[in-house]
Amino acid sequence: MKKITLLLLALALPALRSAAALSPAETLQVVKTIDERQRNSGDWKALAYMEAKEKDKSDVVYEMTIFRRDQDKKLMFLFLAPKSEAGKGYLRLDQNLWFYDPGTGRWERRTERERIGGTDTRRGDLDESRLAQEYDCTWEADEKLGKFEAHRILLKVKPDVDVAFPMIRLWVDGTTSNVLKRQEMALSGRLMRTSYYPRYKKVYSESKKGEIWYPEEMRFYDEIEKANQTLILIKEIDLRPLPANMFTKAWLESKSR
Amino acid sequence: MFLTDLQIAGRNLAKHTKRNLFLGGAIAAVTALLVLMGGLTAGIEGAMLESATILMTGHVNVGGFFKITSGTGAPLVNDFPKALEDARKAVPEIELATARVRGYGKVVSDTGSMDLVLSGIDLQAEPMFQKVIRVTQGNLDDLAQPNTILLFEDQAKRLGVRSGDALTISSATARGANNTADLRVAAVAKNIGILSSFTAFMPAASLRELYQLKTTATGAIHLYLKDPERSAEVAARLRTALAADGWRVMDPDPQAYFMKFQRVNSEDWTGQKIDITTWKDELSFLSWILTGLNGLTGLLASVLMVIIVIGIANTLAIAIRERTREIGTLRAIGMQRRKVLWLFLLEASLLGLASTVAGAAAGIGIAALLNLAHLAVPESVQMFLMQQHLTVTVGFRPVLNYVLGISAVTTLAALYPAYHAARLRPITAIHHIG
Repeated sequence: MKKITLLLLALALPALRSAAALSPAETLQVVKTIDERQRNSGDWKALAYMEAKEKDKSDVVYEMTIFRRDQDKKLMFLFLAPKSEAGKGYLRLDQNLWFYDPGTGRWERRTERERIGGTDTRRGDLDESRLAQEYDCTWEADEKLGKFEAHRILLKVKPDVDVAFPMIRLWVDGTTSNVLKRQEMALSGRLMRTSYYPRYKKVYSESKKGEIWYPEEMRFYDEIEKANQTLILIKEIDLRPLPANMFTKAWLESKSR
Repeated sequence: MFLTDLQIAGRNLAKHTKRNLFLGGAIAAVTALLVLMGGLTAGIEGAMLESATILMTGHVNVGGFFKITSGTGAPLVNDFPKALEDARKAVPEIELATARVRGYGKVVSDTGSMDLVLSGIDLQAEPMFQKVIRVTQGNLDDLAQPNTILLFEDQAKRLGVRSGDALTISSATARGANNTADLRVAAVAKNIGILSSFTAFMPAASLRELYQLKTTATGAIHLYLKDPERSAEVAARLRTALAADGWRVMDPDPQAYFMKFQRVNSEDWTGQKIDITTWKDELSFLSWILTGLNGLTGLLASVLMVIIVIGIANTLAIAIRERTREIGTLRAIGMQRRKVLWLFLLEASLLGLASTVAGAAAGIGIAALLNLAHLAVPESVQMFLMQQHLTVTVGFRPVLNYVLGISAVTTLAALYPAYHAARLRPITAIHHIG
């Protein structure tokens, strides 16, 4: 009798496992949900604090304002602190990311994969989530991450799409579809960065006519230079429409004076 | 007649041995100093040409940039075999051509990290590379194996690694995707000036893999000529020829390729553009060292020349004062003013020539002794002097220029006192007391 029970259990286990597995369509839906929950069709303004820790260097805390107009993919960062960085800014116009330094008064074209302020933060961390658009996804497993039941999903970049990390592994909260943990890999497959998103908040968006979820806290750990890490805190979200002519070099320059 | 004048001038000089020895000694010392300074500058320039043209640049380079979007330029020459074929057609005097993959990445060890300019090398194709590199740890031949790296002593020290240790290199491909490679330190070499502070070498194939490049893509083709002095002319010819062959060629910009990223990325073009540079362009970031040394030599020369002019003028003024009665007698027995002027000028030029020749000989001798002594340059200075041992290269032409130049200045300095002597009236001069 005991043997029969064990046999039945052995037969049932793969079936149970496959029942828990997400189908490709369900996996895609999870990824689309992540994007959708963070999507904001209107304008976005937020105050962010960025603490960068690097080996053999003193910690630096940056304060900056993030401006977004997701409709036409416009994005702007204006550094407010520390004093040495105040007035510097990034502006994305079409496919180009521009960096402005008031010290030299010059604009430099930078890659979209630029490390913001030389930290471990990338433009994509502060921009609208476009995972479903940029990556193909595969469900890998369902597993426990702390107290959360999470889907582990592997994302591989779609052909002819340029991204900083061609492979990403996500741990997505099975209940809320919030990303809890994210691992980003190089082309070689080597783990380069691990990110944690311990806190999410939601705000009501008039333009979306719904709620927007955003990670209030993000922690990035450099896996190549183990001692380097960055903490980002997003504060004071404002979803009211921004001035129409704001996303221009002239505007950023005027704020940098 | 000239020989008689020369004899008279020589005797006059010999008559006032002490004074002339003192003045001649000063002129000789100045000449020797200038010869040494010039030799030092020439030595640095020579060392730069020798080591830098093997380490990081050819005499002429066919490099360029490839931009997928207008904001992201990578130092690439796609289809370099075709570019080399076209270059060979335009420049038959090419002695050797090598392809180098160019890159930039963060090298990370267990204890440290640093950003390095990476040069992808095919060791088999560059036998002269081994002449310049002096390995202190490991084996240079191991650099032919995939995923290896050659570091210089200071880099190895900063990263805390020895030959055989593992490193990770992280960089972004031309499309902006991050990539990494795990490398083994094949060898550690002695520092070679400032270049070795930021350049490391990898097998070209490994660097291509890191950047996901095709085998027909490289960073630059280094062209070596029989006569490096002709690089500028060859570069101009190559620029025209490659443009005629259908390549998009960038305007001349005398800077190293890694100084051009900002400008290239701010320009609104995509695709491939070829950039032709000379070794002087690629090493322009070091030219301040030579400019500084030349400036210092120039300043020193100017100050010393002023001292010489004052010294000569003063000495001749004293000589004329002492020899006023003699001048009066010579004028009274029929010597023309022009002759008096000529004799004094001849005296000064003889002193100048003898002193500068002696000074140049002393300078050449000291330079030879310094070269023989194989003096080690302090590490902090090595970076700027581009040499580990002091090398003073004294050329014939610069020495000849110093000798003739200083002699001419000495002669010119005597012009006013000699003119003054020639203008003396015989009767006044004969009655001169003093």
